[in-house]
This record gives sequence, C-alpha cells and structure tokens, in this order.
Amino acid sequence: MRSTSSVLLFVLTLTSIVALILAFLQNGLKSKHDFNEAMYSKKATIAAVANHLDVEDFSKISEAEVTEIFDKQIKQMVLKSDGTVATPEELQDAGVRGGLAENLDLKKENKKSVEERYLPLYEFTKSDGNKYYIVYARGKGLWDEIWGNIALESDVNTIAGVSFDHKAETPGLGAEIKDNKAWVRQFIGKKLYDNDGTFRAIDVKKGGAKDPYHEVDAISGATITGDGITDMLLEDLVAYEPYLKTIKG
Amino acid sequence: MADTAVVEKNQGIQFGKKERKLLTDPLNDNNPITVQVLGICSALAVTTGMKNATVMAVAVVFVCLFANVITSALRKAIPKQVRMIVQLVIIATLVTVVELVLKAYAFESYKQLSVFIGLIITNCIVMGRLEAFAMANKPYESALDGLGNGIGYGIILLMVAAIREFFGKGEFYGYKIIGPSPEYAINTLESSLFGWYQGNNLMVLFPSAMFVIAVLIWAHRAWNPKLVDVS
Amino acid sequence: MGELANIFIKSAFIENLALSYFLGMCSYLAVSKTVKTAVGLGLAVIFVLAITMPINWVINTWLLGENGIFGTDLTFLRFILFIAVIASMVQLVEMVVEKYSPSLYNSLGIFLPLITVNCAILGGSLFMVSKEYNFAEAVSFGLGGGFGWFLAIVAIAAIREKIKYSAVPPALRGLGMAFLLTGLMGMAFMGLMGIDPAAY
Repeated sequence: MRSTSSVLLFVLTLTSIVALILAFLQNGLKSKHDFNEAMYSKKATIAAVANHLDVEDFSKISEAEVTEIFDKQIKQMVLKSDGTVATPEELQDAGVRGGLAENLDLKKENKKSVEERYLPLYEFTKSDGNKYYIVYARGKGLWDEIWGNIALESDVNTIAGVSFDHKAETPGLGAEIKDNKAWVRQFIGKKLYDNDGTFRAIDVKKGGAKDPYHEVDAISGATITGDGITDMLLEDLVAYEPYLKTIKG
Repeated sequence: MADTAVVEKNQGIQFGKKERKLLTDPLNDNNPITVQVLGICSALAVTTGMKNATVMAVAVVFVCLFANVITSALRKAIPKQVRMIVQLVIIATLVTVVELVLKAYAFESYKQLSVFIGLIITNCIVMGRLEAFAMANKPYESALDGLGNGIGYGIILLMVAAIREFFGKGEFYGYKIIGPSPEYAINTLESSLFGWYQGNNLMVLFPSAMFVIAVLIWAHRAWNPKLVDVS
Repeated sequence: MGELANIFIKSAFIENLALSYFLGMCSYLAVSKTVKTAVGLGLAVIFVLAITMPINWVINTWLLGENGIFGTDLTFLRFILFIAVIASMVQLVEMVVEKYSPSLYNSLGIFLPLITVNCAILGGSLFMVSKEYNFAEAVSFGLGGGFGWFLAIVAIAAIREKIKYSAVPPALRGLGMAFLLTGLMGMAFMGLMGIDPAAY
C-alpha cells in the first residue's frame, strides 16, 4: 500500500497529461470537425435535387463539387413565417453566423412556435436555367428526431425530390427513410396542393398509396416513423406558404 | 504465417512459439466473443454492414493494443488502490482519441456509430485484457496479446456483419449484389431468373445478430469440441 | 409528474437497455445461470444507474457544456469523466455497503466491480446526453432503465434454469442457447416498440 498523497499525485499527473493531450487533439481537429458537420448538412440539402445536378453518381460526390454547387447554383435565404425575408440585422441579433441559412440552428428553431421560426430556403438553379426551391421540415420519429429537405419545382407545388435523415431510427425499419432510395423516389412528382388549392402535403399511407398525388406507400414495420413524416410535412411546410405564394405570383 | 522464430534486429524482441501463441490463441481457442463472451454489445449494434464493422474492429484493435502497452509500461507505477480507475482513464482517453479522429476523417462512420464508439470503453475485452494480462506482463508481450484479442474480436465482428449485410440487404461492403432493382449485379425483379429471391429483413434488425452469433458459437464448438460447455 | 412516469415506463419496457439496445450483454450472459445471482446483479445495476445518472447529468451540464462554469465546450472530456464517476461511485457504494450492511454486501458485493464495465451504465449516461433530458427526467430514466435491465436478466436466468433439463445439442449448450434465447426475447420486445405510454 502506498501513501494517500503519492496515490493522489499519480492520479493528478495522469489526469493532467491526459487532459492536455486531448485538448491539443481537440483544438487541432476542431476546424475539420466543423467543416465535416457543415459539409454533411450541405450534402443532405442538395441530395433533395440529386437528379438535377451535373454529377453522374450522387453517392460519390466530392466535397469540392458540393462546395462548388453551393457557391454557383444555390442562393440561400432565411425566411420569416409572414413570408418576408429576414434582414441581416435581424439574423445577427438572432446569432446566426453570416446571416446564412446553413448556419441556422434548425433544432432550436423547430422548438419555437411556427410563427416565430426562422426558416431556411435554398433556391437551386439547374444548369438549364430551371429553378427549384428546397425547404426544410423537422419532426419526431419513433425513437428520436427525424428531418428532411424537400425540393419543389418552380410551380412550388410539385415535389422534385426529397432527402430524409434521422437521429436514432431502427436500422432496417425506420432508418429506411434515409437508406432506401427506392422509397424516397416515390415522393418525386407528388403535389403539396390539391386542385382546389388546399394544402394537403403528402401522406405516408399504411396499406398502400391510392391517391396518385398526395400519398406514398409506408415502409412495413415502420408505421410510426412514417406517421412522423406525414405530420412533419403537414405542420412544418405550412410556414413557407406565405413566401411561396409570392413566387407563384 | 511467420516461421517459428523470426528474430528481429532488436535483441530481446523475439517472435517465437510463445509469442505466436499469444497472438493466435485469441483467434480460436480463446476467442473473445465466442469463448470468453466479452464485448458483445458493440458486436450487435454495429454489424448491420461491413463498413461500420470494419471501422469498429479497427478502433477496438487500436484501443486494445495501446491500452495494453501503456498499462503494461505503467504497471509498476499504478497504485493498487486506484487500479481500476487508472485503467479506465487510459481506455477512455484512447477511445476519445478514436472519436476525435473519426469525427475528423471518417465523418459518415462517426455519425452512424454514434454512442457505440463511447461504449468501446466498457468493451469488456479491453478491460479484461488489462486486468488479466497487461498488469502482469512486459509491454512487448502485452502488445501481442492486445493485438491478438483485438483481431480475434474483429474477425467475428466482420463475419457477423458479412452474413447480416448479404442476407439482409443483398450487399457486400456496400456493393449491391442481389436485390430487386437494376442497380444490383443480380437483379431479382419478378421477370428475371432470380425472381424467387427475397432479402431477409430480419437480418438487418438487432436480434438477428444474436442468432448469427449463436450459430457461429454452435459451429465453432462443433468443430472444436474441447470448448463444449459440460455444466 | 405524468411525463416522468412516462419516461420510467418507456425506459423500463419499451426502450429496454438489455433487450432493445442489447447493452450490458457481457454480465447479462455471464451471470444469468441462476435466478438468485441474477437478482443480485440486477439490483446492483438499478442502484448504480440511479446514482450515476444524476451525477453525470450535473457534470455534463455544469462542467462540460458551453453554459457551464468553464464557459467553453469541454465535451471531449465526457468519456473520461463519466467512466471515472461510474468507477468511483461503484467503489464508494461497495465500501459503504460493506461497512453498514454486511448481509447486503454478501449478496451484492461480488457483483459491484463487474458493474463498472457493464455498458448499460455508461450507455445509459450517453443516451441521457443524446436525448437531452433535464435533471428530473434523467433520474427517472436511470431508475426505469435499471429496472428494465433487472427484469430482463431475471427473466433469462429463469429460462436458463429450466432449459438445463432439455436435450440441447452439446455444442449449443450453455452459451449458444443463451444467445438464441436473448435474440428471441429481443424480438418479442420489438413488438412493444412504438407504444406511447402517455396515450393510455
């Protein structure tokens, strides 16, 4: 047995060495971590318009290509739910870095009521000149949060593509909303509004979709994740309505 | 396979029969997963695909190797009263290093493995080897022991992942092999020759890892009868 | 209050640490040969989870978070501090129990060191962080998670006691069978997935 003080000394030395090493490593890699984090969400955003990019295979897209698309083809803005674009001053007060939509803390925004939210909007211009609008929705799946980017064609009604992600859905069931590309493809061509102009959004339907414009098939075994998507599209996309109406004219 | 005695430049570092046994024993007779039953938790959660399993296996080999070496080098200095905590601090540091590095250089895997990277700390293989081997042996032997156990664990992990990925998703290391769309090498759309084939979605779910490991244990013991549980 | 009860029930039955996440499997498989030892280990897990969860919550929020007393993001020290808390709590509990209740020590004591490396404990704390619980919710999650793990290990121990009398192929005896059983129990638990206790 050794004296308490020598034990304490050993533990203290060890802890400080360890803390120092880790602090150095953390500091050295911090910028890389932030870059990766930003790249991850940028990639998810343009995944919604994957079919309209000038890259052959979206799953092999490089970081440089993503940055280039963001620089050249994407115009990002932050909206308020009354349909106006938030001014740089407002965004600075809200603590959004650079006033850019990509720096919004979407998780925090989602906890606010729909009226108070800042909404990210990305306007994508395809190389043939067509415009697409990418909007964002966030909700609750089975275990934890789910979220998605939804690209609309220039009629701001027809869906051009979607990309969903989740925090902790079950692999093979709920996680299919991200992994199963065939399921995600169902959303293409669906419409947010019906012929009368009522907002219907998209229903993830258990037992098979019947309505050709407003329903998609559910994933078997993932009813609650599917319902989560139905709800989040219905609740969150409404907030964009006032602004989208101004585009429609 | 190395010859029975490869003497390296540095005298004292030898790779003979004893050293080889340290390295190969955990691969078969003393496999961490199928015989010692250690480190099961991560074996289950990360084996839905080969990619995640590979990252996990490499991470565990790294942690196991260095934790063994460091503990063994410090073994005379570590006060007995706080032995466990010191060992855990060493492991936790290495795991944090793994996490920070993955976050910087393999972000996709980092996202997918999430809390299970942290759980390497409580992967009983690492802790078990420190307690049973590194505290009583020299760094070089401990390194071999750590490497052997890490690899023994990794092999089972990859085997489980290969089975689950192939039968569950029809893929192998992300390459699409068999499935119901033209993107796969073997197309199982109704009109084709393999139209009867159906992927088994159960294999993607957690409990299937239990079944796969059970079958592996069964096969391992049938092949190596001295491991059979007699109690 | 209802919200807390909800979290308790959810973490005990629906998001069961042992049978839905398969955490703590090493000791779960090693110490489930008889019901008696399983009860001992299960109780010890409830105990340690209930103690470490609130402490780790305080550490994570007040020491490591950006709004903590150091004012910077120190989350890279999370693993080390969590495991240090768990290891020292386990040792502390061991000493206290040994001193004041030798009978409890005799039935619980031998399991306590095992718990430090039980991933259900560390996993519980990490899940608590990723689910962003507040203090009261963390306490409830700790109790519920521990109780769920206790139920799971007692259940499999009871089955293993009975299965000893069955004609299992020799190579599958013991460990192999335990894996199969756990897999089946896990599948059964998947049936509870998605039930929202708040709705009843």
